[in-house]
Amino acid sequence: MEYFVSLLVMIGLYVTLSSSFNLIIGYGGLISIAHPVFFALGAYTTGVLSVNTSLHPLVTIAAGGAVAALASFMLSLPSLRISGDYLLITSIGFQLGVIEIIKNLDFVGGASGLSGIPNIVETHRSLKFALALLLLAAAVVLFVRKLTRGPYGRAIRAMRDDELAFSALGRNAMNIKIAIFALGSGIAGVAGGLYAYYYQYLTPDQFEILQSAMILTMVVVGGMGSVFGPTVGAVLLIALPEAITFLNLPAEVMGPLRGIIFTALVIVFLFLRPQGLVAPRVAGEAQ
Amino acid sequence: MFDTSILLQILWTGIATATYGVLLAAAFSLVLKVVKVWNFAQAGMMGIAYYTLYVCLQKAALPAALALGIAVLVTIGAALLIDTLGLRTFRRRKSPSLTYFIFTLLLSELVQYVLAMIFGTEPVSLAATVGSASTMIAGVIVSRWDVTAMLSTLACLAVLYVVLRRTRYGKHMTAVADNPELSQLYGMSVARIYALTFALAALLVVAAMYLFGTRASMVPETPLRMMLAAVIAALLGGMDNLIGAALAALFLSLLQSFSVLFIPSAWQGLILYALLFITILFFPRGVKLPRRNARRKPAAAAAPSTA
Repeated sequence: MEYFVSLLVMIGLYVTLSSSFNLIIGYGGLISIAHPVFFALGAYTTGVLSVNTSLHPLVTIAAGGAVAALASFMLSLPSLRISGDYLLITSIGFQLGVIEIIKNLDFVGGASGLSGIPNIVETHRSLKFALALLLLAAAVVLFVRKLTRGPYGRAIRAMRDDELAFSALGRNAMNIKIAIFALGSGIAGVAGGLYAYYYQYLTPDQFEILQSAMILTMVVVGGMGSVFGPTVGAVLLIALPEAITFLNLPAEVMGPLRGIIFTALVIVFLFLRPQGLVAPRVAGEAQ
Repeated sequence: MFDTSILLQILWTGIATATYGVLLAAAFSLVLKVVKVWNFAQAGMMGIAYYTLYVCLQKAALPAALALGIAVLVTIGAALLIDTLGLRTFRRRKSPSLTYFIFTLLLSELVQYVLAMIFGTEPVSLAATVGSASTMIAGVIVSRWDVTAMLSTLACLAVLYVVLRRTRYGKHMTAVADNPELSQLYGMSVARIYALTFALAALLVVAAMYLFGTRASMVPETPLRMMLAAVIAALLGGMDNLIGAALAALFLSLLQSFSVLFIPSAWQGLILYALLFITILFFPRGVKLPRRNARRKPAAAAAPSTA
């Protein structure tokens, strides 16, 4: 039972991350894969505040979201000058650079990690965290749905589809890019805060480049630019590889086998269903 | 301030350890130039090349030449599979660049997991001992590996230069890199050129991994980390400039080697990422050195014709 509940925790977490990432890459067309960095910044901010202060958990989690949103400026501002492949490579370098910095900062625990994050839930711990994360995931999905179906969503898609024409009409593409990055990153930061309290231990390795690939593939497999696509992608790519858990294989085989199933699944989807499992609502929404 | 012999030693060792990085940067840059793809699957090719060499040299105890030959065949086979089964499908569909990125990165991850399952996650080396015979020249320790690595790298780059500039297929590669549609109209087989490009890149990868493996050990996830230096070198050197990428890889290696004099070694890794950020923002087309013919005075061009 505990295992299934922990699976729900992961699903809630990754639905939140992939939906917020979909806002940036699917709707905004901003090809950045540095999303785990903002997840990490939120987690570490929450972790450090909870270890060193007596602030309420809601305050530390909100602080994590705020720090992640502010940090997004470091990536959104360069994105004003570059796009496409260059932005992709820049975001890789940004992510690896921030992780490298975290590894060398003593006050966040360095490479050995940050421990001692207090337990904020005494009873039915996993169940309460699962509920919190699933509620957050649902809220994020509904928020993205509301945002993208309104006038602001139309502006975002217009900017994505033809930035030059968008600017020629007198609209400010820069503001939208900065806002999308801040929103998506802030949500990832909040998810990071909950993650920190759940696992009570953070290491830089938890936020490496493979994490980026995982979130990106959830969005792509689920359907980029669709509201529910990332949810479907996250559920599928979290649950399916876990199916081998019941085979009782040795640990040294289980880890790589899970990775093989995950990567093979995504590659198969890239060939068989490149548009994703859930197509965007309107044909014009697709990138 | 610093002893000259220390500086010379750092310079020599930096150049020696740059050799496999130079070859990897050249391989990455070659595919980027001709096929126009950020080939993150090169990390997978590196893993396949390395572990093939490991099986041949350490498990089967084959001679080095035979092991290299087998590794070349296997890696070229893998590279051709990547191109024909994978990238060709996406080219036909006119897929966005994100698809290529996801495919190549995940393919490398898949290879990494398969290798981890087969060989485990313990470090393995291609040589029984990573040290080699060395001698002191002018206060600098010169090992046999250093000399072999430098000569091998120069030879590989020379062969690559000759192939690209002096052979028919090499010129076709340059033409396809410039304009694949026009090249197709002129009767060149673009698919064959792409396959040849991947084959050449595979050769360079095998050479690089052999040099690396005879000096250090590796785990399945090492190639993905090594890839970033090749990516930065390709960016810094210019996306269509193989020699530039090779020189950039050398520069990066020397920068990291000399940085230990000024910053703690724990921060060395950050140099690469900072350089990537700066390069993308300020030199997205690579660092362009001024060319001699660009300095020709305009008056010569405006001189009246005497015909």
